[in-house]
Amino acid sequence: MSVSRYLMVLAALLALLALTAGLALLKLGPFNTILALSISCIKTALVMSIFMHATEGRRLTIMVSLLGFIWLAILIGFALTDYGTRASLPAPW
Amino acid sequence: MTTIDAAFYREGGLRSWLTTHDHKRIAILYALGITFYFLLGGAAATMIRLNLVNPAGSLLSAETYNKTFTFHGVVMVWFFLIPSIPTTLGNFLLPLMIGARDVAFPRLNLASWYLYMAGGLFTVAALLAGGVDTGWTFYTPFSTMFSNTHVYLVVIGVFVTGFASILTGVNFIVTVHTLRMPGMTWFRLPLFVWTMYAVSLVMVLATPVLAMTLALIALERLAHLGIFDPALGGDPLLFQHLFWFYSHPAVYIMILPAMGVVSEIIPCFVRRRIFGYRFMTYSILAITVIGFMVWGHHMFVAGQSMYASLLFSILSFVVAVPSAIKVFNWTATLRKGAITFEAPMLYALGFIGLFMLGGLTGLMLAAPALDIPLTDTYFVVAHFHYVMVGGSVMAYLGGLHYWWPKITGRLYSESWARAAAILMFFGFNLTFFPQYVLGYEGMPRRYHSYLPDFQALNVLSSAGASILALAYLMPIAYLLWSLRAGQPAGNNPWNARGLEWQTSSPPPEENFRHQPVVREAYAYDEAAP
Amino acid sequence: MTAAAQVADQYDDAGQQRYAATLGMWVFLATEILFFGVLFASYAALRFQYDQGFAVASRHTDMLLGTLETGVLLTSSSLIALAVRAVRLNERRSAVTLMAATAALGLTFLVMHGFEYYKEYTEHLIPGIDFSQPGVHAHAVELFFCLYYCITGFHSLHVAIGVVVISTLAVRVARGSFGPHRYTFPELAALYWHLVDIIWIFVFPLLYLIGRGG
Repeated sequence: MSVSRYLMVLAALLALLALTAGLALLKLGPFNTILALSISCIKTALVMSIFMHATEGRRLTIMVSLLGFIWLAILIGFALTDYGTRASLPAPW
Repeated sequence: MTTIDAAFYREGGLRSWLTTHDHKRIAILYALGITFYFLLGGAAATMIRLNLVNPAGSLLSAETYNKTFTFHGVVMVWFFLIPSIPTTLGNFLLPLMIGARDVAFPRLNLASWYLYMAGGLFTVAALLAGGVDTGWTFYTPFSTMFSNTHVYLVVIGVFVTGFASILTGVNFIVTVHTLRMPGMTWFRLPLFVWTMYAVSLVMVLATPVLAMTLALIALERLAHLGIFDPALGGDPLLFQHLFWFYSHPAVYIMILPAMGVVSEIIPCFVRRRIFGYRFMTYSILAITVIGFMVWGHHMFVAGQSMYASLLFSILSFVVAVPSAIKVFNWTATLRKGAITFEAPMLYALGFIGLFMLGGLTGLMLAAPALDIPLTDTYFVVAHFHYVMVGGSVMAYLGGLHYWWPKITGRLYSESWARAAAILMFFGFNLTFFPQYVLGYEGMPRRYHSYLPDFQALNVLSSAGASILALAYLMPIAYLLWSLRAGQPAGNNPWNARGLEWQTSSPPPEENFRHQPVVREAYAYDEAAP
Repeated sequence: MTAAAQVADQYDDAGQQRYAATLGMWVFLATEILFFGVLFASYAALRFQYDQGFAVASRHTDMLLGTLETGVLLTSSSLIALAVRAVRLNERRSAVTLMAATAALGLTFLVMHGFEYYKEYTEHLIPGIDFSQPGVHAHAVELFFCLYYCITGFHSLHVAIGVVVISTLAVRVARGSFGPHRYTFPELAALYWHLVDIIWIFVFPLLYLIGRGG
């Protein structure tokens, strides 16, 4: 892989960083967080696919590289089923 | 009695054992550690049962009683049950079963044993020096704000041991992926290897969550970084979410390997192939994944939202389906088989019965309507002892007897072994079945005294416990005796089909003298030299 | 002089050995994600209940420093990737320079964090040591800062470990321990460093950028 490709990815990452910071200064309600995290996901995809070569080797590497994220999603997702529905059901007494 | 093969273990002396990279020797080191912690945990259990013989609980003070059951729980869960089958039988057999010369990372394997022993001794020292009265679950805010005991020391010990689990898990996963011998495709893997793979996934994905959660407890106690602190509006229930994200899958760390052991023993003594091999593998994977999505059933009464409870309850019923498939397949394997009742088979049959009872009562507890009155009663205690002791320990001992000739090259006394297995089954039921009844009648767990009405069943349970204790001590005696005076076992005393039986007993350092090849599941050839 | 790969007994060839090591590292990185995952999950649960308070608290952090820190880590990630490339192409001198630069950027990151912590100390924002804040959200702000110190502290620990590992690596590369046929360890160290970077990519918007709008 050529040096210029790495440097282009770095430029893209820094541009996305600037975009994240800029978007944070706008008042977008919940979209502030949603956009920021989406950009983080794009950055992560760039780092993992280019810098870490996750997509170049065997398919197994991609699967393993996603494993941690998927399980983290299970942890947060199921925990939020509790936090998301707790307040809407006040105790009857 | 110098013999042929046992010389393999005598080579090199203590130093070579403590620096060994051979998976077989590390397995034996682990077995010694596990036995040590099992005896410690068992001693605590003995104290508990002695104390509960009379309703006033006059043997131990309330505080000592709390520390004793915490000791029992912490030691048995983290230093016996979690590592039991994977690190001993798994370590020994995984490379043999896939035709490898060792695990992928032998040095990490040894490092994991040192971490395990160091963490364990540190924890035991902390538990003996000051004790902890929180129960093995370390629930906040009690553990963070009110308990005046050595919580953070114990938590650090468990944290360290967590890394031992993670290293074992990483090692097994990579071994199964990279070191299978030619022709050993995924659907030719022995079921024991499948369960080792699954259990490694659980170890790798769940253990870090426990470690970090326990670190948060230590931080809250030491540095007052109180994210569980209700005084700040922090959430003690958050701790339970994080804790059970590990500790429910941890139950599968205990039971999946047990299922793997039984899936190897039964076909051998029935002289039939395992019924429904593919469904067995799918159900192993289903248990692994769905097992991560049911943790909230521990929190029905803790203040969790009703909708979340509903979801966790439904998923808990779902995870019972693959477990039931496995029980059906074992029984279907028995059908029309030429069954013989050697000691390992007795353990395996005992496992199926006890696991079924433990599993079915688990379903009762997965239903909020029943769980709410039964939470924190002896019903729960009986349920998880049926799964963990009736399930995992029976299977561990079954596996130990089954592979003992392979590991040591010696045969133990079959009649003593059968007697111990039968005694254990009756002792176990006598100990824990009364606890179902006690729980159903409303006796709460974790109290050092109880109402006089419950005495008869408690005495019964304690009587059972003494039989159980005897049954656990018997194998230690006759297995050790077999090392001195047992008959040489030969390569394949059971006439079993697994690859591990094709090499000598005990296997040479490189496991196989000639690279074996495989044509189909459980049918192996040795390549021409 | 190029160091040749040594193959351990349990492997058939160097390729299998390298693949096993890389796979092991990826599995370990999955555990790292879940280590941090506990903190992210706690963050999610608490922010769900105290969205306002977290926004107030986040405004106490230093957005400029946070952004610069992110830039520093992203740059260091590209440098270590280039360093591994240089090792594989046997460009030893540039590999050493790139690794040294990576470690230096890691140190810069830690120093910048030190300045942040000091500033927060003077503003009475460190729970357990000196925390006093006015207003209705005081408790939520304290919770936020508990998480903030757990997350950034644990992350900085990883950066510090990375700095040590990469410095050692630079020395070993300079001595010629690695080359086109032997680059597993540099590659694994780089994977670790990238993951530390990825964690920060998520930490940055969650801790520094909420409640900045308007």
